[in-house]
Amino acid sequence: MALHSEILSKEGRASALRSRGTFRRILERNAAGYIFLLPWLLGFFGLTLGPALASLYLSFTNYDLLQSPDWVGAANYVRILSDDPKFGAAMRVTFTYVVLSVPLKLAFALAVAMAFNRGIKGLTLYRAIFYLPSLLGSSVAIAVLWRQLFASDGLVNMALWQIFGFEGPSWISNPDYALYTLVLLSVWQFGSPMIIFLAGLRQIPTDMYEAAEMDGAGKARQFFKITLPLLTPVIFFNAVIQTIEAFKAFTPAFIISEGTGGPINSTLFYTLYLYQEAFGFFRMGYASALAWILVIIISLFTAFSFLGARYWVHYDE
Amino acid sequence: MPMMLDRRSVLCGGLSALSLAALNAPALAQATRLRMIWWGSQERADRTNKAIAAFKTAKPDITIAGEFAGWSDYWPRLATQVAGRNAPDIIQMDYRYIFEYARRGALAPLDDYLGKGLTIDDFGKPNIESGRIDGKLFGINLGVNSSVVLYDKAAWEKTGVTPPSMGQTWEEFAENTIAFGKKKPKPGYFATADASGLEPSFENYLRQNNKALFSADGQLGYEPADVAAWFKMWQDIRKSGGCVPADVQALDQQNIESNALTTGKAATAFAHSNQFVGYQALNKSKLSLTAYPRVGKSSPSGHYLKPSMLMSVSATSTNPKGAVDFINFLVAKPEGVDLLGVERGVPASTAMRDQLTTKLDDVSKAMVEYIAAITPEVGPLPINPPQGAGELAFVLTRVSQEVAFGRITPEEGGERMVTEAKRTLARK
Repeated sequence: MALHSEILSKEGRASALRSRGTFRRILERNAAGYIFLLPWLLGFFGLTLGPALASLYLSFTNYDLLQSPDWVGAANYVRILSDDPKFGAAMRVTFTYVVLSVPLKLAFALAVAMAFNRGIKGLTLYRAIFYLPSLLGSSVAIAVLWRQLFASDGLVNMALWQIFGFEGPSWISNPDYALYTLVLLSVWQFGSPMIIFLAGLRQIPTDMYEAAEMDGAGKARQFFKITLPLLTPVIFFNAVIQTIEAFKAFTPAFIISEGTGGPINSTLFYTLYLYQEAFGFFRMGYASALAWILVIIISLFTAFSFLGARYWVHYDE
Repeated sequence: MPMMLDRRSVLCGGLSALSLAALNAPALAQATRLRMIWWGSQERADRTNKAIAAFKTAKPDITIAGEFAGWSDYWPRLATQVAGRNAPDIIQMDYRYIFEYARRGALAPLDDYLGKGLTIDDFGKPNIESGRIDGKLFGINLGVNSSVVLYDKAAWEKTGVTPPSMGQTWEEFAENTIAFGKKKPKPGYFATADASGLEPSFENYLRQNNKALFSADGQLGYEPADVAAWFKMWQDIRKSGGCVPADVQALDQQNIESNALTTGKAATAFAHSNQFVGYQALNKSKLSLTAYPRVGKSSPSGHYLKPSMLMSVSATSTNPKGAVDFINFLVAKPEGVDLLGVERGVPASTAMRDQLTTKLDDVSKAMVEYIAAITPEVGPLPINPPQGAGELAFVLTRVSQEVAFGRITPEEGGERMVTEAKRTLARK
């Protein structure tokens, strides 16, 4: 701290007197900061921004991974939007997944957070346990486990048979149900929104509830009139983050369908389709175009969420 | 006490590091280091690593660094390495993918090494030709293979139904599976897996009808009616309880581990002959192998001998000669051949096969005998598939599922398959 202010006072003033070398001055003044930022900066420019820009260029080429790319103009984009039935299938699957998994997951996370917020013993332990699926959820092992659970003779069907005497189908490999098992997998990973909800719930002053109780408001009324409105910024945050995550979902579908998106494209997530095109069929240019369309879709979704937020999110003034 | 680092000690350290590097440099320059990549199980990795070690003893100046992956991870990894100009020197290739890589200039032609480092004359013409793409030799046959019917003989015998056998017709096979289904030993267990979505099986069926996946000019070699008849045959078997239902078949990821035979859902599987070793390792009951059923008693068998896999050399390899030496060690030197065994298929070289057979266990022997038994019945190798052909296997699986789950009729399936296949081939 002392060192920093010294630099600011002496060096800063001295160099400010000089008219040239503004960039250098800024650099010198913040050198320590930039050095500490260096790993992140290298990662951002080298591993995120660089490849992203390269893929933007490649999306206008016929790059096939092995030969040098040739410029094809907007041909990839035209084909995706006008002549690609698999693109439509992938969009349907992805949107169904987003629309189902995000609200269900948030509702579940909120319910668990509210249960915890009533002050139970050993909260830290429970919180850790309930957070666990979020750490494991997108891993390969869990996807494999899911496959076992929901296969024809998996644990789920065994339970259904024992309890209800009902012979279930092979959920994971039936095109009518496969996607819903993946939605369930996503809901099960409610940990991170739950932690955030819990923090949000803690912020709500208890005297509000006391006042409401004195005025004769029931639990349900308290929830809808106090908890929900005051929690809207947190709900909004969680919704945006989870929606983006859901659009990007890849591992579960990849493992469960062995990269095929099957049966009958029923788990053909957008990212999975993109991956197939890029690495399965060597159409890297086409896959890059698909990726940029996904970027546009996610950006639009987020922008609209923020535009709509002003009508339902209450911030403390 | 803080450590003192002055200019002198830094300089000394740097110099000594430099001199160490200088000492090491000649040693590194002498030995050639080659990278090799393959896909397969742990069993294959163990065998391959032993062969690499043996090669090192025979030729100490070449070190081979091996890496391997499972089938589905292998192709993305290889594609990224090649795209990143970091291709391994020695690449295990599949018959389907070798065309994609060779035609895109990623592999080195090996014709110049024939007789000079590559002693594969006794492979016989077909087994050499199977590595030739558009006239040039890009792959060395690692093992001879054919499609095969694997079955649990005891399970079939328990039901009293005739198991699959050489020369059986599809009609007989279908009747048998249905009879099996009526007497099945336990619920959820069927006579056979559903092969309607497996491209090698469909190809075999087409060849029995004197058709092919692709015509000589690189177009589609079949009509909607051919696909429809294939789907219809399996539909009848499925509906009569002869094969596993659609949702069980959809669990099959077209590998040994998830096949209905291995998972205990069916008594018969359609596979490749080199996989017999792997299948037997994962199945408790003793498995037998036989040829595919045929459309008629006098129709062709549909079988052909194909390379189970090939060895190729990267176009960017700095030491293609060394790479060829190692490949030759694997296919034409008893030392290498014995270490690999028949896990990658039966050796193409007659001399190698003869000396190996005497040393094999019963499982491997049965596989060699199978290849010997069908060899008089095999047809010619199909023509090189056109670019984009690899995708059609996935299309067939998906359309077969649409039929199996009752979304469309076999006739609609035939139309859809041909339409989509033509679309895919037309795409450049």
